Amino acid sequence: MKPAPFDYCRPSTVTEALEALSSAESSRVLAGGQSLVPAMNFRLTDVSLLVDINRIEGLASVDCDPGGVTVGAAATQTQVLDHDGAASVVSGLRAALRHVGHLQIRNRGTVCGSLAHADPAAELPALAVASDAVIAVSGPDGERRIDAADFFIGAFWTALDDGELITEVRFPAEPPGSMTIVDEISRRAGDFAVAGLVATVEAEGGAVRGARLVGFGLGGVPTRLEAAEAAIRDWAPDHPADTLAEAVMADTADAFDDIHATSWYRREAVAALTVRAARRALAAEEAA
Amino acid sequence: MTISEPISEVDIEVSINGRTRRHRVPARLLLSDYIRDTVGLTGTHLGCEHGYCGACTVIVDGDAVRSCLMLAVQADGAEVRTVEDLAPAGSDCLSPMQQAFHDNHALQCGFCTAGFLMTLDSVDPAEWSEPERVVELLSGNLCRCTGYQNIVTAVTEAWSAYDGSGGSNDG
Repeated sequence: MKPAPFDYCRPSTVTEALEALSSAESSRVLAGGQSLVPAMNFRLTDVSLLVDINRIEGLASVDCDPGGVTVGAAATQTQVLDHDGAASVVSGLRAALRHVGHLQIRNRGTVCGSLAHADPAAELPALAVASDAVIAVSGPDGERRIDAADFFIGAFWTALDDGELITEVRFPAEPPGSMTIVDEISRRAGDFAVAGLVATVEAEGGAVRGARLVGFGLGGVPTRLEAAEAAIRDWAPDHPADTLAEAVMADTADAFDDIHATSWYRREAVAALTVRAARRALAAEEAA
Repeated sequence: MTISEPISEVDIEVSINGRTRRHRVPARLLLSDYIRDTVGLTGTHLGCEHGYCGACTVIVDGDAVRSCLMLAVQADGAEVRTVEDLAPAGSDCLSPMQQAFHDNHALQCGFCTAGFLMTLDSVDPAEWSEPERVVELLSGNLCRCTGYQNIVTAVTEAWSAYDGSGGSNDG
């Protein structure tokens, strides 16, 4: 399994990269290559020109401030996972990245590349939606910023147009007093999730005050669980878990079936993960 | 170095196990095939060639990576280490980790072993020696012979001798 022949270039600026991307019919951006290269090895992706953005100055940065974390297009998942400052502002980054691939994959794979790839079972797109991340894109017509909620259109399908390049993603700081839990059901550590959940939970006085809940592995794009977000408000461990689980079931009625799991299994899994996340957040609040 | 114009063949310079190599390679050549076929170091094995099995793991600029998911041209200017670099040069000895694998029957057919060894060599034992961390670390390498128990035993044994002084594990 080897990729079919293609041309290669390694620009030093974003402007050069955009020129190169526009110069060929089926050009693709190469960042970490941990999804693109296997697809090319399988000959699932037709690439005539690969534009390697890894040597563009400043693109591999991870910047944090009290307002959020900005991750450049060439910053690796390991870089972000190991970044204590990023984890303290957006705890969901570390929580999500622990589930992404294996050490060897994270050493090359990028955060922005995972967003651009838009695998329905991936953690980072769900985190982006849960945290209202904003994706900065440069293209032939200039720059634009896309809210994560508008970025994911379908499985492996995003709002990126031909010739456009993600330059960075901005994850806003989590609300004070909240924590993000990323939990999933997968066959093997590091493997793709059958289904999973990103939950940013605000807990106070032994009860959940509010939460943002986004499921993944349920459909083509991350699934916001709005009924469950309503049901989890003021939830405490002595409340019945059933009402919360039923709300998740209502939110996920469209979950898909495949050889790995039935729709029903996926919905039950995310319902169980939601109850588990609420309990974990409350336990953490009690311990703090 | 910038490559502004699209090209199908690229001149690269890569340090492999401390020796500088210069070749003109097709852009589509995988690092794994470059190491094996162009440079001739066949200790790196190719299992699945799509990033699943971990057999082809090598160390690039200090980090364990899957060499089948990286192009040779991306290693231009990098320092690459392969399994051939583990045992002390010019001796018949194995590295401590290789010896622990041997002593604990941590391999049978040996096809996956180079990948395991390079993953292990890339990390600081101080961060990874807890039993559950060892299992997590090795989750990216598949072995179809041993059932992993003997591999975990070997790692535990090799790292129990670790003195905790920090730095990378060269053994």
